[in-house]
Amino acid sequence: MTHKLLTLTAVISLFLSGCGQTAPDLNGSNNNISDTNAISGDTVSIDESAYGNESEGNYNSSTDGFRSVYFDFGDYAISSNMENNMNNNIKIAMAASSKIKIEGNCDEFGTDEYNYALGLKRAKAVKDSLVSQGLSAGKTVMVSLGESSPVCTEPNDSCYDRNRRVDIRLVK
Amino acid sequence: MKHLLSIILSLHFFTLSLFGVDATLKIEKDVEHRSRIALLDGSSVKNPRVFDILLSDLKISGHFIPDTTHHKGDITGKFISPALKSQEYVLKYSMNQHSGSKLLIRLLKASDGTQVFKKSYAVPSKAKMPFLLHKAINDVNNVLKYPDISWINRYVVYAVYTTPGRSEIRLADYTMTYKKTIIKGGLNLFPKWADAQQRAIYYTSYKELIPTLYKLNIYNGSKQKIASSQGMMVCSDVSKNGSKILLTMAPEGQADIFEMNVASKSKKRVTKFKGIDVNGRYIDNESRIVFISNRLGYPNVFKKSINSAATSQVVYRGRNNNACDAHGDKIVYSSRESNNAFGNNTFNLYLATSGRSSTRPITTMGTNQFPRFSTDGSIILYLKQKGYSTSIGYINLKSSQSLLFPFNDKKVQSIDW
Repeated sequence: MTHKLLTLTAVISLFLSGCGQTAPDLNGSNNNISDTNAISGDTVSIDESAYGNESEGNYNSSTDGFRSVYFDFGDYAISSNMENNMNNNIKIAMAASSKIKIEGNCDEFGTDEYNYALGLKRAKAVKDSLVSQGLSAGKTVMVSLGESSPVCTEPNDSCYDRNRRVDIRLVK
Repeated sequence: MKHLLSIILSLHFFTLSLFGVDATLKIEKDVEHRSRIALLDGSSVKNPRVFDILLSDLKISGHFIPDTTHHKGDITGKFISPALKSQEYVLKYSMNQHSGSKLLIRLLKASDGTQVFKKSYAVPSKAKMPFLLHKAINDVNNVLKYPDISWINRYVVYAVYTTPGRSEIRLADYTMTYKKTIIKGGLNLFPKWADAQQRAIYYTSYKELIPTLYKLNIYNGSKQKIASSQGMMVCSDVSKNGSKILLTMAPEGQADIFEMNVASKSKKRVTKFKGIDVNGRYIDNESRIVFISNRLGYPNVFKKSINSAATSQVVYRGRNNNACDAHGDKIVYSSRESNNAFGNNTFNLYLATSGRSSTRPITTMGTNQFPRFSTDGSIILYLKQKGYSTSIGYINLKSSQSLLFPFNDKKVQSIDW
């Protein structure tokens, strides 16, 4: 009995709510939107999955065809969105006739020796990745530059992102 | 009787718990043993800077309660003005900087004008005037038989970033009044005094393919290549007699600590860890080191014997203790205490001892980094950041006196005293 009453109430509610709503007037003649551009123009499409790594596509402080590899704050693992850059780097590295210098860099927020060690861990992550893909370890040389060589000195997040990086270049 | 005994025992236990102190960490306030002293300036050309430096020297010594008024008058004779009779001593001085720097001081007893000490000082350079003043106060301190403060005469050596990829290594007196760039051009970092007499420094040059450690005689410019390593090469500490140094190196890409015999250049690996081991400092008569390691997943202070593998944690508070210095068994470390990924963070300094787990804060607010002990371990130098201004600070652990001096250089990379 209870089940029947509940079902009946739900059906009546759905019926009444459907009756209470008018169909939207897309021609703009019967709604509150007076600026038609607000609906006729194309809206933006934001992909936040790349947040913090906007610089990768546009910035590069490596030379000789290499692409810089960027890191998250305090981290030294190569993220998956750096795969394209690393794929490029292994091709250039394998074809190179001279040694490759791998430079680890940090943002300005570390202190003393620890920041240099963090830069070195980043350089080592890139070196290990290259070696795991067949590059001879003897063909590489690593240097940590800590926070000494920022490519950007503005006090904002995107600038700090660009400084947490590994640059690669040929030894000349 | 039984109840009385229990009460007495309880009271005794309570007293021990409440007032038991770690003698090595006790910050003493021994005002009774300090001398009240006034400065009287008899210079023909008054230089407020001279008075300020003398006053700072007296304050930071921890042995004087200086009158902060800049008294002026005649320095000859034994006359003491009635206004200064409440002092124990009056230090009369005259600075002449017409050519070079010449200083005359007279230390008089305030009660009757008896001369206790008189000395003249001269140096050809006007810029080195602060060192004359430090030397004078050091002498006054010694004449009055107070504990040694010769650290006041020492140079501070530091590296500053000037532009991306470039730095300079500079010398200064402890007040940062005297400053001189001794290495410029290129990237030269991590200066460290090589000997107790401050005649030479170690520093890391990035001129070559891999970081290279040099020893530079700061008086004649002679330079000696010591060692190089890919990745990192830093001289973190020098033994008392200068015969051994602690290096942070990364021959296989992992930052580890090595001890080098300077004469034979032989190296001994002291730490072996796949993460980060840096910032080695000798403790316990150079039989052990303290160092910064991320072996627990975050930077913290650890210690180990030079000759055995056992490693133990020194600090049990904080999740980001990323730099330290040591003297004897005393350890000072900086701890990051806020988690702003970017911008200013709170860094405070803490004092610990190698054999105990307790720590004491010695700063309580702001950004306090780069702690360095004086040669006798009684003073801690540090950098304080406030907004866009940086100051160099000193804390006298015995007297609790602290002083800050403006530090108008760009971003500091490393500092040694």
